Amino acid sequence: MSSKVTRRQFLNYSLMGVGSFMAAGMILPMGRFALDPLFKDAAAGSDIQTSIKVSEITEEPTKVDFTYNQKDAWYESEVTEFAWVYKDGDKLIALSPVCKHLGCTVTWAGDDGNPDKFFCPCHNGLYTKDGNNVPGTPPRGPLDQYEVGDKDGFVTIGKRFENELVK
Amino acid sequence: MLYTKNDLNVIKDEIEFIDTAIIPVVDIDMDNLSMNRAEHIEFIQLIIMMLEKQLKGRLLITPLFTVVGEDASQVEVFNNQLKEYGFKNTIVLSFRELSLEGIPVIKINHVPISDMDKDILESMVKDEMTIVLKEIIRIWNS
Ligand code: FES
Repeated sequence: MSSKVTRRQFLNYSLMGVGSFMAAGMILPMGRFALDPLFKDAAAGSDIQTSIKVSEITEEPTKVDFTYNQKDAWYESEVTEFAWVYKDGDKLIALSPVCKHLGCTVTWAGDDGNPDKFFCPCHNGLYTKDGNNVPGTPPRGPLDQYEVGDKDGFVTIGKRFENELVK
Repeated sequence: MLYTKNDLNVIKDEIEFIDTAIIPVVDIDMDNLSMNRAEHIEFIQLIIMMLEKQLKGRLLITPLFTVVGEDASQVEVFNNQLKEYGFKNTIVLSFRELSLEGIPVIKINHVPISDMDKDILESMVKDEMTIVLKEIIRIWNS
């Protein structure tokens, strides 16, 4: 079987708690009806203020939600996504949770056997803390980064860009 | 993955990874329950959106499969096509009990969502989505 998800890993993942498992963003279309255009990738443009304090961020990647309005030809919707944010010394780092294999949502320390890595439950993809994909697992590149900043003590999230931490 | 030109183009080459098709089945009869059914349709779409975010790389979520009347046997026809295409697992999501030849059905609970506060709605969708997710994982592991 090629989908390479072992029972143990998946059970671990599913049992580790709804809070972190429900890491995926929530999308609530304002005219909650049609479906497809909502999925259009909408990387945030300008910096978005979050409700997480910079002082709460540690060296352990934390889920930071950010919300923006997305407009397309037909309707406007409110989209909540998130980034994994941590401190490297004094520097804030924000990574996209979208797996570079086929797009599932990755979780920090989602696999018991790899407490210091991002884990993708779909086909057991692994990434190191800087977002580098672990060779031998399906992902084809490192996790994207987000611009991240500090505004009045709160984390802000900006544009998404290709990972520059791993070269 | 969704039933869009782009996603189908990916699936064609990645069927060994995207090995599960989810068929959301809804009723659209114009009877005295139609308002309930309308809520079902709205609710199931929210669940689907979360599933897609979480497990995009392993699922094809098909367009809503609309059924009129009792007879849902067309779902079986669709299921056969999906199997022939190469999906290893096919799973139906439905609000009503369906007995379908050889297809596991995950039953979604009715939630009265009209006029619901956004935060409450969000947490109800998450709760229901967790149940669905656990069921999918159970099917994967069985
Ligand atoms: S989508 Fe396949 S490993 Fe993440």
